Amino acid sequence: MALTIAQNDMTTTVAALILAWAIQAGAASAQSLTTEAAVTTGVSTAEHISAGAVQLRGFGDLKRGIRFFTEAAWAARSDQESDVFGAAYPYSNRMQVIEAYGERLFRPGNAILAVRAGRYRTPFGISSGSDHAYTGFLRAPLIRYDGNFALSNNFLEHGADLVAGVPRLTVEASIGRPGDVGSAVRRPGLDTVVRIQSFVGPFIAGLSHIQTSPYLPQSFARGHSVFTGVDLRMMRDGVQLRGEWITGRPFDGPKTSGWYADAIVHRIAMGPVSAVARIEGLDYDTVPAFALHARRQTIGARVLLLDALSAQINLIHQTGERAQYGGNALDVGVTYSLRHDFHHD
Amino acid sequence: MQVIRAAAGIGAALMALTLRAAAPDASDLHGTARAGTRAASNAVVWLEAPDAPRSTDRHPVVLDQRNLAFSPHVLVIRVGTTVDFPNSDRVFHNVFSFRDGKVFDLGMYPVGALKHVTFDRPGLSRIFCNIHPGMAAYVMAVDSPYFAVADQSGAFTIAEVPPGTYPYRAWRAGAPQLAGSWSSASTVPLSVAWP
Repeated sequence: MALTIAQNDMTTTVAALILAWAIQAGAASAQSLTTEAAVTTGVSTAEHISAGAVQLRGFGDLKRGIRFFTEAAWAARSDQESDVFGAAYPYSNRMQVIEAYGERLFRPGNAILAVRAGRYRTPFGISSGSDHAYTGFLRAPLIRYDGNFALSNNFLEHGADLVAGVPRLTVEASIGRPGDVGSAVRRPGLDTVVRIQSFVGPFIAGLSHIQTSPYLPQSFARGHSVFTGVDLRMMRDGVQLRGEWITGRPFDGPKTSGWYADAIVHRIAMGPVSAVARIEGLDYDTVPAFALHARRQTIGARVLLLDALSAQINLIHQTGERAQYGGNALDVGVTYSLRHDFHHD
Repeated sequence: MQVIRAAAGIGAALMALTLRAAAPDASDLHGTARAGTRAASNAVVWLEAPDAPRSTDRHPVVLDQRNLAFSPHVLVIRVGTTVDFPNSDRVFHNVFSFRDGKVFDLGMYPVGALKHVTFDRPGLSRIFCNIHPGMAAYVMAVDSPYFAVADQSGAFTIAEVPPGTYPYRAWRAGAPQLAGSWSSASTVPLSVAWP
Protein backbone atom coordinates (compact mmCIF):
# COMPACT_ATOMS: atom_id res chain seq x y z
CA MET A 1 0.00 0.00 0.00
CA ALA A 2 2.84 2.38 0.87
CA LEU A 3 4.38 1.67 -2.50
CA THR A 4 1.08 2.46 -4.19
CA ILE A 5 0.79 5.78 -2.37
CA ALA A 6 4.37 6.70 -3.21
CA GLN A 7 3.82 5.87 -6.87
CA ASN A 8 0.61 7.84 -6.90
CA ASP A 9 2.34 10.88 -5.38
CA MET A 10 5.07 10.56 -7.98
CA THR A 11 2.64 10.38 -10.87
CA THR A 12 0.72 13.32 -9.45
CA THR A 13 3.97 15.27 -9.24
CA VAL A 14 4.81 14.39 -12.82
CA ALA A 15 1.34 15.43 -13.88
CA ALA A 16 1.73 18.70 -11.96
CA LEU A 17 4.95 19.38 -13.82
CA ILE A 18 3.18 18.66 -17.12
CA LEU A 19 0.42 21.04 -16.06
CA ALA A 20 2.91 23.79 -15.19
CA TRP A 21 4.76 23.24 -18.45
CA ALA A 22 1.57 23.27 -20.47
CA ILE A 23 0.35 26.51 -18.91
CA GLN A 24 3.76 28.12 -19.39
CA ALA A 25 4.02 26.87 -22.95
CA GLY A 26 0.45 27.84 -23.60
CA ALA A 27 0.95 31.37 -22.38
CA ALA A 28 4.20 31.73 -24.30
CA SER A 29 3.44 30.15 -27.62
CA ALA A 30 -0.22 29.25 -27.85
CA GLN A 31 -2.31 30.53 -30.68
CA SER A 32 -5.15 30.55 -28.22
CA LEU A 33 -5.37 30.05 -24.48
CA THR A 34 -8.50 29.93 -22.37
CA THR A 35 -8.38 29.95 -18.60
CA GLU A 36 -11.29 29.02 -16.37
CA ALA A 37 -11.81 29.03 -12.65
CA ALA A 38 -14.83 27.62 -10.83
CA VAL A 39 -15.46 27.97 -7.11
CA THR A 40 -18.19 25.91 -5.50
CA THR A 41 -19.56 25.74 -2.01
CA GLY A 42 -22.34 23.50 -0.87
CA VAL A 43 -24.26 21.99 2.00
CA SER A 44 -26.27 18.82 2.38
CA THR A 45 -28.79 17.74 4.96
CA ALA A 46 -27.14 14.31 4.78
CA GLU A 47 -25.39 14.35 8.15
CA HIS A 48 -25.01 18.15 7.82
CA ILE A 49 -22.17 17.90 5.32
CA SER A 50 -20.56 21.03 3.94
CA ALA A 51 -18.03 21.23 1.14
CA GLY A 52 -15.91 23.63 -0.87
CA ALA A 53 -14.13 23.13 -4.18
CA VAL A 54 -12.00 25.01 -6.69
CA GLN A 55 -11.14 23.97 -10.23
CA LEU A 56 -8.63 25.69 -12.48
CA ARG A 57 -8.35 24.98 -16.19
CA GLY A 58 -6.13 26.09 -19.02
CA PHE A 59 -6.63 24.89 -22.56
CA GLY A 60 -6.20 25.98 -26.13
CA ASP A 61 -4.20 25.60 -29.31
CA LEU A 62 -0.48 25.23 -29.53
CA LYS A 63 1.29 25.43 -32.86
CA ARG A 64 1.17 22.77 -35.59
CA GLY A 65 -2.41 21.79 -34.78
CA ILE A 66 -1.72 20.50 -31.28
CA ARG A 67 -4.20 21.30 -28.56
CA PHE A 68 -3.72 21.03 -24.84
CA PHE A 69 -6.01 20.72 -21.83
CA THR A 70 -4.97 21.05 -18.21
CA GLU A 71 -7.06 21.00 -15.09
CA ALA A 72 -6.27 21.07 -11.38
CA ALA A 73 -8.73 20.79 -8.53
CA TRP A 74 -8.89 21.24 -4.79
CA ALA A 75 -11.86 20.18 -2.74
CA ALA A 76 -12.67 19.47 0.88
CA ARG A 77 -15.74 17.98 2.50
CA SER A 78 -16.70 17.65 6.14
CA ASP A 79 -17.41 13.93 5.72
CA GLN A 80 -15.13 11.75 3.61
CA GLU A 81 -17.57 8.83 3.55
CA SER A 82 -20.33 10.63 1.69
CA ASP A 83 -20.56 10.93 -2.08
CA VAL A 84 -22.28 14.32 -1.99
CA PHE A 85 -20.75 16.90 -4.37
CA GLY A 86 -18.53 14.15 -5.81
CA ALA A 87 -20.00 14.22 -9.31
CA ALA A 88 -16.68 14.57 -11.09
CA TYR A 89 -13.94 15.65 -8.66
CA PRO A 90 -12.25 14.13 -5.60
CA TYR A 91 -12.53 15.62 -2.10
CA SER A 92 -9.08 14.99 -0.75
CA ASN A 93 -8.31 18.42 0.72
CA ARG A 94 -5.26 18.96 -1.50
CA MET A 95 -4.65 20.46 -4.90
CA GLN A 96 -4.42 17.71 -7.52
CA VAL A 97 -3.93 17.61 -11.24
CA ILE A 98 -7.00 16.08 -12.81
CA GLU A 99 -6.16 16.15 -16.51
CA ALA A 100 -3.08 17.27 -18.44
CA TYR A 101 -2.86 16.14 -22.03
CA GLY A 102 -2.07 17.14 -25.56
CA GLU A 103 -4.07 16.02 -28.54
CA ARG A 104 -4.23 16.38 -32.26
CA LEU A 105 -7.19 15.92 -34.57
CA PHE A 106 -6.72 14.93 -38.22
CA ARG A 107 -9.55 15.14 -40.76
CA PRO A 108 -8.65 13.16 -43.88
CA GLY A 109 -11.80 13.76 -45.93
CA ASN A 110 -14.83 12.95 -43.79
CA ALA A 111 -12.78 10.67 -41.56
CA ILE A 112 -11.64 11.42 -38.00
CA LEU A 113 -8.31 10.48 -36.53
CA ALA A 114 -7.59 11.89 -33.08
CA VAL A 115 -4.59 11.18 -30.90
CA ARG A 116 -4.33 12.11 -27.23
CA ALA A 117 -1.45 11.56 -24.83
CA GLY A 118 -0.91 12.48 -21.19
CA ARG A 119 -3.22 12.25 -18.20
CA TYR A 120 -6.92 12.02 -19.01
CA ARG A 121 -10.20 10.65 -17.70
CA THR A 122 -10.74 6.97 -18.40
CA PRO A 123 -12.70 7.02 -21.68
CA PHE A 124 -15.33 4.46 -20.66
CA GLY A 125 -18.93 5.38 -21.45
CA ILE A 126 -20.22 8.82 -20.50
CA SER A 127 -16.97 9.97 -19.00
CA SER A 128 -15.92 13.54 -19.68
CA GLY A 129 -15.81 16.09 -16.90
CA SER A 130 -18.55 18.17 -18.51
CA ASP A 131 -20.79 15.09 -18.69
CA HIS A 132 -20.96 14.96 -14.90
CA ALA A 133 -19.87 18.28 -13.38
CA TYR A 134 -22.26 21.23 -13.31
CA THR A 135 -24.93 19.39 -15.24
CA GLY A 136 -27.37 19.82 -12.38
CA PHE A 137 -26.46 16.63 -10.49
CA LEU A 138 -24.37 17.00 -7.33
CA ARG A 139 -23.46 13.32 -6.99
CA ALA A 140 -21.97 10.85 -9.42
CA PRO A 141 -24.11 7.89 -10.45
CA LEU A 142 -23.68 5.05 -7.92
CA ILE A 143 -22.05 2.86 -10.55
CA ARG A 144 -19.49 5.63 -11.14
CA TYR A 145 -18.50 6.62 -7.60
CA ASP A 146 -15.39 5.66 -5.61
CA GLY A 147 -15.66 2.54 -3.54
CA ASN A 148 -18.78 1.01 -5.03
CA PHE A 149 -16.92 -1.97 -6.51
CA ALA A 150 -17.26 -0.67 -10.06
CA LEU A 151 -15.84 2.29 -11.95
CA SER A 152 -15.19 5.82 -10.71
CA ASN A 153 -15.46 9.25 -12.29
CA ASN A 154 -12.11 9.88 -10.59
CA PHE A 155 -10.35 7.18 -12.61
CA LEU A 156 -7.59 8.70 -14.74
CA GLU A 157 -5.19 7.22 -17.27
CA HIS A 158 -1.56 8.00 -17.89
CA GLY A 159 -1.31 6.88 -21.47
CA ALA A 160 -2.32 7.36 -25.05
CA ASP A 161 -5.73 7.34 -26.68
CA LEU A 162 -6.69 6.99 -30.34
CA VAL A 163 -10.04 7.68 -32.00
CA ALA A 164 -10.61 6.64 -35.62
CA GLY A 165 -13.64 6.50 -37.88
CA VAL A 166 -16.22 8.86 -39.31
CA PRO A 167 -18.55 11.10 -37.29
CA ARG A 168 -21.33 8.48 -37.45
CA LEU A 169 -19.12 5.63 -36.24
CA THR A 170 -15.88 5.84 -34.28
CA VAL A 171 -13.66 3.37 -32.51
CA GLU A 172 -11.59 4.53 -29.54
CA ALA A 173 -8.73 2.69 -27.88
CA SER A 174 -6.77 3.76 -24.82
CA ILE A 175 -3.74 2.13 -23.28
CA GLY A 176 -2.10 3.37 -20.13
CA ARG A 177 -1.50 3.06 -16.41
CA PRO A 178 -3.87 4.15 -13.63
CA GLY A 179 -3.40 7.69 -12.37
CA ASP A 180 -6.49 7.90 -10.20
CA VAL A 181 -7.48 10.53 -7.68
CA GLY A 182 -10.00 10.15 -4.89
CA SER A 183 -10.44 7.32 -2.44
CA ALA A 184 -10.52 4.45 -4.97
CA VAL A 185 -7.02 4.30 -6.46
CA ARG A 186 -6.31 1.35 -8.70
CA ARG A 187 -3.16 -0.66 -8.27
CA PRO A 188 -0.38 -0.18 -10.84
CA GLY A 189 -0.81 -2.17 -14.02
CA LEU A 190 -1.79 -1.98 -17.64
CA ASP A 191 -5.18 -0.46 -18.51
CA THR A 192 -6.91 -1.01 -21.80
CA VAL A 193 -10.17 0.60 -22.81
CA VAL A 194 -12.00 0.09 -26.10
CA ARG A 195 -15.08 2.06 -27.07
CA ILE A 196 -17.32 2.02 -30.15
CA GLN A 197 -19.64 4.95 -30.67
CA SER A 198 -22.40 5.56 -33.19
CA PHE A 199 -24.28 8.78 -33.91
CA VAL A 200 -27.62 8.59 -35.74
CA GLY A 201 -30.12 11.44 -35.79
CA PRO A 202 -30.58 12.70 -32.23
CA PHE A 203 -29.13 9.48 -30.77
CA ILE A 204 -25.57 8.71 -29.66
CA ALA A 205 -24.91 5.14 -28.56
CA GLY A 206 -21.71 3.61 -27.21
CA LEU A 207 -20.30 0.26 -26.19
CA SER A 208 -17.26 0.29 -23.87
CA HIS A 209 -15.00 -2.35 -22.40
CA ILE A 210 -12.21 -1.95 -19.85
CA GLN A 211 -9.64 -4.31 -18.38
CA THR A 212 -7.68 -2.80 -15.54
CA SER A 213 -6.30 -3.37 -12.05
CA PRO A 214 -8.60 -3.51 -9.00
CA TYR A 215 -8.52 -0.55 -6.62
CA LEU A 216 -8.56 -2.88 -3.62
CA PRO A 217 -5.41 -4.47 -2.11
CA GLN A 218 -3.91 -7.55 -3.73
CA SER A 219 -4.50 -9.57 -0.59
CA PHE A 220 -8.24 -9.08 -0.94
CA ALA A 221 -8.81 -8.55 -4.66
CA ARG A 222 -7.08 -10.93 -7.04
CA GLY A 223 -7.18 -10.93 -10.81
CA HIS A 224 -8.29 -8.11 -13.03
CA SER A 225 -11.14 -5.66 -12.94
CA VAL A 226 -13.19 -6.08 -16.11
CA PHE A 227 -16.30 -4.11 -17.06
CA THR A 228 -18.49 -3.69 -20.13
CA GLY A 229 -20.97 -0.87 -20.57
CA VAL A 230 -23.63 0.41 -22.91
CA ASP A 231 -24.52 4.09 -23.01
CA LEU A 232 -27.19 6.00 -24.87
CA ARG A 233 -27.82 9.72 -25.21
CA MET A 234 -30.51 11.69 -26.98
CA MET A 235 -31.17 15.39 -27.19
CA ARG A 236 -33.98 17.24 -28.89
CA ASP A 237 -35.84 20.50 -28.26
CA GLY A 238 -34.01 21.18 -25.03
CA VAL A 239 -34.52 17.72 -23.55
CA GLN A 240 -31.42 15.61 -22.96
CA LEU A 241 -31.93 11.95 -22.03
CA ARG A 242 -29.03 9.67 -21.26
CA GLY A 243 -28.20 6.49 -19.48
CA GLU A 244 -25.63 3.78 -18.91
CA TRP A 245 -25.74 0.13 -18.00
CA ILE A 246 -22.46 -1.27 -16.73
CA THR A 247 -21.67 -4.81 -15.67
CA GLY A 248 -18.56 -6.77 -14.86
CA ARG A 249 -16.31 -7.89 -12.04
CA PRO A 250 -14.31 -5.61 -9.76
CA PHE A 251 -11.87 -8.52 -9.18
CA ASP A 252 -12.01 -12.30 -9.40
CA GLY A 253 -15.19 -13.64 -7.80
CA PRO A 254 -17.87 -11.00 -7.22
CA LYS A 255 -19.97 -9.26 -9.86
CA THR A 256 -21.13 -5.65 -10.00
CA SER A 257 -23.91 -4.29 -12.19
CA GLY A 258 -25.40 -0.85 -12.23
CA TRP A 259 -27.37 1.55 -14.35
CA TYR A 260 -28.74 5.04 -14.40
CA ALA A 261 -31.10 6.99 -16.60
CA ASP A 262 -31.39 10.73 -16.34
CA ALA A 263 -33.02 13.72 -17.95
CA ILE A 264 -31.81 17.29 -18.19
CA VAL A 265 -34.53 19.61 -19.45
CA HIS A 266 -34.09 23.21 -20.52
CA ARG A 267 -37.04 24.46 -22.58
CA ILE A 268 -37.55 28.01 -23.74
CA ALA A 269 -40.24 28.76 -21.17
CA MET A 270 -37.94 27.71 -18.31
CA GLY A 271 -35.69 30.75 -18.57
CA PRO A 272 -32.59 30.30 -16.40
CA VAL A 273 -33.78 26.98 -14.92
CA SER A 274 -32.80 23.51 -16.07
CA ALA A 275 -34.68 20.64 -14.45
CA VAL A 276 -32.93 17.33 -13.79
CA ALA A 277 -34.10 13.87 -12.75
CA ARG A 278 -32.29 10.55 -12.37
CA ILE A 279 -33.13 7.00 -11.39
CA GLU A 280 -30.41 4.45 -10.79
CA GLY A 281 -29.44 1.16 -9.28
CA LEU A 282 -26.33 -0.65 -8.09
CA ASP A 283 -25.88 -4.35 -7.30
CA TYR A 284 -22.65 -5.80 -5.93
CA ASP A 285 -23.15 -9.54 -5.74
CA THR A 286 -20.83 -11.48 -3.46
CA VAL A 287 -21.23 -13.45 -0.27
CA PRO A 288 -24.39 -12.19 1.47
CA ALA A 289 -22.56 -10.50 4.34
CA PHE A 290 -20.76 -8.14 1.96
CA ALA A 291 -23.30 -7.76 -0.85
CA LEU A 292 -24.43 -4.27 -1.71
CA HIS A 293 -27.71 -3.25 -3.30
CA ALA A 294 -28.81 0.35 -3.62
CA ARG A 295 -31.49 2.28 -5.47
CA ARG A 296 -31.62 6.04 -5.76
CA GLN A 297 -33.89 8.69 -7.23
CA THR A 298 -32.90 12.31 -7.72
CA ILE A 299 -34.84 15.37 -8.81
CA GLY A 300 -33.40 18.83 -8.93
CA ALA A 301 -32.51 21.93 -10.85
CA ARG A 302 -29.66 24.04 -12.07
CA VAL A 303 -30.44 27.75 -11.94
CA LEU A 304 -28.40 30.47 -13.56
CA LEU A 305 -28.59 33.26 -10.98
CA LEU A 306 -26.27 35.72 -12.71
CA ASP A 307 -23.95 35.41 -15.70
CA ALA A 308 -21.22 33.73 -13.66
CA LEU A 309 -23.20 32.46 -10.68
CA SER A 310 -25.30 29.32 -10.72
CA ALA A 311 -27.00 27.12 -8.15
CA GLN A 312 -27.70 23.41 -8.17
CA ILE A 313 -30.34 21.82 -5.96
CA ASN A 314 -30.93 18.07 -5.63
CA LEU A 315 -33.50 16.15 -3.63
CA ILE A 316 -32.33 12.56 -3.12
CA HIS A 317 -34.11 9.43 -2.01
CA GLN A 318 -31.98 6.32 -1.59
CA THR A 319 -32.70 2.84 -0.35
CA GLY A 320 -30.32 -0.03 0.28
CA GLU A 321 -27.01 -0.54 2.03
CA ARG A 322 -25.46 2.81 1.09
CA ALA A 323 -28.26 4.99 2.45
CA GLN A 324 -26.20 6.18 5.45
CA TYR A 325 -28.15 9.39 5.80
CA GLY A 326 -31.57 7.98 6.49
CA GLY A 327 -32.55 7.71 2.87
CA ASN A 328 -33.39 11.32 2.08
CA ALA A 329 -31.14 14.30 1.51
CA LEU A 330 -31.28 17.81 0.16
CA ASP A 331 -28.05 18.93 -1.52
CA VAL A 332 -27.46 22.56 -2.49
CA GLY A 333 -24.39 23.93 -4.25
CA VAL A 334 -23.51 27.37 -5.57
CA THR A 335 -20.81 27.88 -8.20
CA TYR A 336 -19.06 31.02 -9.36
CA SER A 337 -17.22 30.65 -12.67
CA LEU A 338 -14.74 32.89 -14.44
CA ARG A 339 -13.38 32.50 -17.94
CA HIS A 340 -10.85 34.46 -19.96
CA ASP A 341 -9.75 33.95 -23.56
CA PHE A 342 -6.35 34.95 -24.89
CA HIS A 343 -5.72 34.90 -28.62
CA HIS A 344 -2.48 35.31 -30.50
CA ASP A 345 -2.10 35.67 -34.27
CA MET B 1 -12.71 16.38 -66.67
CA GLN B 2 -9.72 18.69 -66.18
CA VAL B 3 -10.85 20.76 -69.19
CA ILE B 4 -14.30 21.17 -67.67
CA ARG B 5 -12.81 22.22 -64.33
CA ALA B 6 -10.51 24.73 -66.05
CA ALA B 7 -13.41 26.17 -68.04
CA ALA B 8 -15.50 26.43 -64.90
CA GLY B 9 -12.66 28.22 -63.14
CA ILE B 10 -12.20 30.70 -65.97
CA GLY B 11 -15.97 31.29 -66.05
CA ALA B 12 -16.05 31.97 -62.32
CA ALA B 13 -13.13 34.37 -62.61
CA LEU B 14 -14.79 36.27 -65.47
CA MET B 15 -18.03 36.47 -63.46
CA ALA B 16 -16.16 37.85 -60.47
CA LEU B 17 -14.47 40.46 -62.67
CA THR B 18 -17.83 41.42 -64.18
CA LEU B 19 -19.43 41.84 -60.74
CA ARG B 20 -16.53 43.91 -59.55
CA ALA B 21 -16.72 46.05 -62.63
CA ALA B 22 -20.44 46.65 -61.95
CA ALA B 23 -19.50 48.90 -59.03
CA PRO B 24 -16.37 50.69 -60.22
CA ASP B 25 -16.63 53.46 -57.65
CA ALA B 26 -17.13 51.20 -54.66
CA SER B 27 -14.70 51.81 -51.84
CA ASP B 28 -13.95 50.44 -48.42
CA LEU B 29 -15.51 52.16 -45.44
CA HIS B 30 -13.14 52.39 -42.49
CA GLY B 31 -14.21 53.25 -38.98
CA THR B 32 -13.77 52.75 -35.28
CA ALA B 33 -16.12 51.61 -32.52
CA ARG B 34 -15.66 52.76 -28.97
CA ALA B 35 -17.48 52.33 -25.68
CA GLY B 36 -16.57 55.27 -23.50
CA THR B 37 -12.81 55.50 -23.66
CA ARG B 38 -12.29 51.84 -24.60
CA ALA B 39 -12.26 50.05 -27.92
CA ALA B 40 -15.55 48.25 -28.58
CA SER B 41 -14.18 45.01 -29.95
CA ASN B 42 -16.77 42.69 -31.47
CA ALA B 43 -19.13 45.58 -32.17
CA VAL B 44 -21.18 45.05 -35.32
CA VAL B 45 -21.69 47.92 -37.78
CA TRP B 46 -23.81 47.72 -40.91
CA LEU B 47 -25.26 50.00 -43.55
CA GLU B 48 -28.91 49.57 -44.36
CA ALA B 49 -29.22 48.48 -47.98
CA PRO B 50 -32.01 45.93 -48.36
CA ASP B 51 -32.08 46.33 -52.14
CA ALA B 52 -28.38 45.65 -52.62
CA PRO B 53 -27.64 42.77 -54.98
CA ARG B 54 -27.12 39.29 -53.58
CA SER B 55 -23.55 38.14 -53.33
CA THR B 56 -22.41 35.27 -55.50
CA ASP B 57 -19.88 34.28 -52.87
CA ARG B 58 -20.53 30.67 -51.94
CA HIS B 59 -17.83 30.30 -49.28
CA PRO B 60 -19.28 28.56 -46.24
CA VAL B 61 -19.93 30.73 -43.22
CA VAL B 62 -18.73 28.84 -40.17
CA LEU B 63 -19.38 29.21 -36.45
CA ASP B 64 -16.98 26.63 -35.08
CA GLN B 65 -17.11 24.88 -31.69
CA ARG B 66 -13.52 24.52 -30.68
CA ASN B 67 -11.77 24.44 -27.31
CA LEU B 68 -15.11 24.71 -25.49
CA ALA B 69 -15.94 28.00 -27.22
CA PHE B 70 -17.83 29.26 -30.22
CA SER B 71 -15.54 30.86 -32.75
CA PRO B 72 -16.03 33.61 -33.71
CA HIS B 73 -17.76 34.99 -30.65
CA VAL B 74 -19.70 37.45 -32.80
CA LEU B 75 -20.78 36.63 -36.35
CA VAL B 76 -22.59 38.99 -38.70
CA ILE B 77 -24.27 37.65 -41.82
CA ARG B 78 -26.75 38.72 -44.43
CA VAL B 79 -30.31 37.46 -44.01
CA GLY B 80 -30.74 34.17 -45.85
CA THR B 81 -27.22 32.97 -45.13
CA THR B 82 -26.71 29.37 -44.03
CA VAL B 83 -24.20 29.00 -41.22
CA ASP B 84 -22.26 25.78 -40.61
CA PHE B 85 -21.89 24.65 -36.98
CA PRO B 86 -19.14 21.98 -36.94
CA ASN B 87 -18.06 20.33 -33.70
CA SER B 88 -14.26 20.42 -33.62
CA ASP B 89 -13.96 19.22 -30.00
CA ARG B 90 -13.80 15.64 -28.78
CA VAL B 91 -16.55 16.34 -26.26
CA PHE B 92 -20.17 16.59 -27.36
CA HIS B 93 -21.69 19.95 -28.02
CA ASN B 94 -25.22 21.20 -28.41
CA VAL B 95 -26.13 24.41 -30.23
CA PHE B 96 -29.34 26.20 -29.47
CA SER B 97 -30.95 29.62 -29.67
CA PHE B 98 -34.09 30.01 -27.61
CA ARG B 99 -34.38 33.67 -26.77
CA ASP B 100 -34.91 35.73 -29.90
CA GLY B 101 -33.88 35.96 -33.52
CA LYS B 102 -33.70 32.51 -35.08
CA VAL B 103 -35.05 29.88 -32.67
CA PHE B 104 -33.49 26.43 -33.07
CA ASP B 105 -31.93 23.49 -31.24
CA LEU B 106 -29.45 21.34 -33.13
CA GLY B 107 -29.35 18.61 -30.50
CA MET B 108 -26.13 16.98 -29.36
CA TYR B 109 -23.47 15.85 -31.80
CA PRO B 110 -19.91 14.52 -31.69
CA VAL B 111 -16.57 15.57 -33.09
CA GLY B 112 -16.48 15.86 -36.86
CA ALA B 113 -20.23 16.20 -37.23
CA LEU B 114 -21.64 19.27 -38.96
CA LYS B 115 -25.06 20.89 -38.71
CA HIS B 116 -26.47 23.94 -40.46
CA VAL B 117 -28.92 26.75 -39.78
CA THR B 118 -30.31 29.27 -42.28
CA PHE B 119 -30.95 32.64 -40.67
CA ASP B 120 -33.97 33.73 -42.67
CA ARG B 121 -34.97 36.92 -40.89
CA PRO B 122 -33.06 39.89 -39.53
CA GLY B 123 -32.19 40.11 -35.87
CA LEU B 124 -29.87 38.96 -33.14
CA SER B 125 -29.65 35.29 -32.19
CA ARG B 126 -27.94 34.34 -28.93
CA ILE B 127 -26.25 30.98 -29.30
CA PHE B 128 -25.53 28.65 -26.38
CA CYS B 129 -24.44 25.08 -25.66
CA ASN B 130 -26.60 23.23 -23.16
CA ILE B 131 -23.69 21.01 -22.11
CA HIS B 132 -21.13 23.79 -21.55
CA PRO B 133 -22.82 26.80 -19.93
CA GLY B 134 -19.70 28.93 -20.51
CA MET B 135 -20.13 28.76 -24.27
CA ALA B 136 -21.97 31.67 -25.86
CA ALA B 137 -21.97 33.50 -29.18
CA TYR B 138 -24.01 36.05 -31.08
CA VAL B 139 -25.21 35.85 -34.68
CA MET B 140 -26.48 39.14 -36.10
CA ALA B 141 -28.44 38.72 -39.33
CA VAL B 142 -28.77 41.97 -41.26
CA ASP B 143 -30.60 42.76 -44.46
CA SER B 144 -27.53 44.21 -46.14
CA PRO B 145 -24.28 43.02 -47.68
CA TYR B 146 -22.37 45.93 -46.11
CA PHE B 147 -21.33 44.99 -42.60
CA ALA B 148 -18.28 44.42 -40.39
CA VAL B 149 -17.22 43.33 -36.91
CA ALA B 150 -14.80 45.55 -34.99
CA ASP B 151 -11.43 44.01 -34.16
CA GLN B 152 -9.59 44.13 -30.82
CA SER B 153 -8.66 47.79 -31.39
CA GLY B 154 -12.23 48.71 -32.30
CA ALA B 155 -11.33 49.22 -35.97
CA PHE B 156 -13.62 47.90 -38.69
CA THR B 157 -13.75 47.93 -42.48
CA ILE B 158 -16.88 47.49 -44.58
CA ALA B 159 -15.69 46.36 -47.99
CA GLU B 160 -16.71 47.73 -51.38
CA VAL B 161 -19.50 50.11 -50.49
CA PRO B 162 -21.03 51.80 -53.56
CA PRO B 163 -21.22 55.61 -53.43
CA GLY B 164 -24.23 57.03 -51.65
CA THR B 165 -25.74 57.98 -48.36
CA TYR B 166 -26.76 55.15 -46.05
CA PRO B 167 -28.41 54.85 -42.68
CA TYR B 168 -26.10 52.83 -40.45
CA ARG B 169 -26.67 50.80 -37.31
CA ALA B 170 -24.28 49.55 -34.68
CA TRP B 171 -24.70 46.87 -32.03
CA ARG B 172 -22.58 45.46 -29.26
CA ALA B 173 -23.43 43.03 -26.50
CA GLY B 174 -25.17 44.57 -23.52
CA ALA B 175 -25.63 48.01 -25.04
CA PRO B 176 -28.43 49.78 -26.92
CA GLN B 177 -28.33 49.72 -30.69
CA LEU B 178 -27.02 52.92 -32.27
CA ALA B 179 -28.24 54.46 -35.52
CA GLY B 180 -26.98 57.25 -37.74
CA SER B 181 -26.21 58.21 -41.28
CA TRP B 182 -23.06 57.92 -43.34
CA SER B 183 -22.19 59.34 -46.75
CA SER B 184 -19.46 58.20 -49.08
CA ALA B 185 -18.73 61.89 -49.65
CA SER B 186 -17.36 62.06 -46.13
CA THR B 187 -13.59 61.98 -45.91
CA VAL B 188 -13.35 61.10 -42.23
CA PRO B 189 -13.62 57.57 -40.87
CA LEU B 190 -16.97 56.57 -39.42
CA SER B 191 -16.82 56.81 -35.66
CA VAL B 192 -19.34 54.80 -33.68
CA ALA B 193 -19.39 55.51 -29.97
CA TRP B 194 -21.39 54.28 -27.03
CA PRO B 195 -21.31 56.50 -23.95
